[in-house]
Amino acid sequence: MSRWHDVGSLADLERDGHVVARVEGREVGVVAVGGELRGVRNRCPHHGGPLCVGTVEQRVGGRPGGYDLTGELVLRCPWHGWEFDPATGACLDDPALRVAVYPAKVDGGRVLVDL
Amino acid sequence: MDPRLARPLWTIVLRVIDCDIHPQIGDPEELLAHVERGQRDWFRGQPYFGLPGYSWSHPSSWYRQDLAADGRPPGADVEAVRRELLDPSGTSAGVLNADDAVLVSLMPSPYRAAALARAHNDWIRESWLERDARLLGAIVCPAQDPEEAAREIRRVGEDPRFVQVVLCGGSERPYGEPRYLPIFEAAAEIGLPVAIHAGGEGMGIAAPPGGAGAVTFYIEWHTLGSACSTMAHLVSLLVHGTFERLPTLKVLLIEGGIAWLPGILWRLDTNWRALRSDTPWLERKPSEVAREHVRFSTQPLEHTDGHDELLWEMLEAAGAPDVLCFASDYPHWDFDDPSFMLKRLPEAWRERVLHENAASLYAERLRLIAA
Repeated sequence: MSRWHDVGSLADLERDGHVVARVEGREVGVVAVGGELRGVRNRCPHHGGPLCVGTVEQRVGGRPGGYDLTGELVLRCPWHGWEFDPATGACLDDPALRVAVYPAKVDGGRVLVDL
Repeated sequence: MDPRLARPLWTIVLRVIDCDIHPQIGDPEELLAHVERGQRDWFRGQPYFGLPGYSWSHPSSWYRQDLAADGRPPGADVEAVRRELLDPSGTSAGVLNADDAVLVSLMPSPYRAAALARAHNDWIRESWLERDARLLGAIVCPAQDPEEAAREIRRVGEDPRFVQVVLCGGSERPYGEPRYLPIFEAAAEIGLPVAIHAGGEGMGIAAPPGGAGAVTFYIEWHTLGSACSTMAHLVSLLVHGTFERLPTLKVLLIEGGIAWLPGILWRLDTNWRALRSDTPWLERKPSEVAREHVRFSTQPLEHTDGHDELLWEMLEAAGAPDVLCFASDYPHWDFDDPSFMLKRLPEAWRERVLHENAASLYAERLRLIAA
């Protein structure tokens, strides 16, 4: 059964790019990914870093010696820089790792996440 | 009695390919005869053909001291190699990786280097490969002039008995740098692996060994210089995407040690995950790419003070036994005998390490020779 939880204000999300709150004993955040909101467990499965405080950026690709922006938006951990697919939670640098992701929405200026 | 009958019994069922034999120059004039006339006197007038020398020296001898030499270095002709290595060990094929001639790449003059490389390759063909079908050649080339090196690889590589290119560990920059690409492209184009043989670090135009400045003793160079340059070339080739550019290329790292291999690959994989945006062309874990494209010689196999089982377990994590190829390093002082290697290796690894991995590395050339 889904339950929506208030994790912060839209104003904070717009200012910082993320909001984080403690919900049912765990830290959960919401990040803005290209105009959409995505709830993410605020704990990187690599070393436990605060993943939602990381940056959302385009993944860089390229052939040897060349650098291209791929257009694929990733959530990059602020500690070691491991990158995650915000839609699925899959770690793009280690297929064995995945972070929990949740639906998120805005209602009346508040940011809600569905656990 | 035919000395071949005295070979170890196990070589009847287990063949041996030796990836690292060092033919010595017994008669300088025999080599100089292959140098173009305009440069011959210059080489004749230089100590040891103008090749750069070490700042430190082995305290007793570079060579096995049991080998008879009659005033010449041991291993200075085909008869010596047959008598002292091929026959008694039952070796079915052995690759002649030159000796100090591989240091042409560290000579300040690329023109002298190219001339000596050409002469050495022709001397190997005429004075060695023609005289024993078990002997195979490695192409020496001037890495400081990669376009010229590529031309030499294509010229000499027409003879299928040359089964690899050989570069020295000492270099101006690590070999993944794009300046060296023509060398690897030429080798890949004609199906030759590139061997990087430790040695030459800190000599001539090479960077100092070890990464912390010039070393004092031979023991320091032998511990660090050879291992550190090997690690540097391995990491450089991987991170520059050399194997993504050249998917058929194989590299054989010789004499730089192997016990460090799992540690370096684990470290590189960890950094690859964290720092991938610097080298975004690396779509696979570097350790996986290494396992596919890079081979390692066994000699000198580290002594483990009775902990061989730990060594095998670690190496297994790095892709052994499929990446190790036997090498003797004859006639050098730290030579590994195939019988010694047979005893140390886990039983399940023996055939692959002593023969199969090298046979697969050189398969294309061995097929051409057989044809």
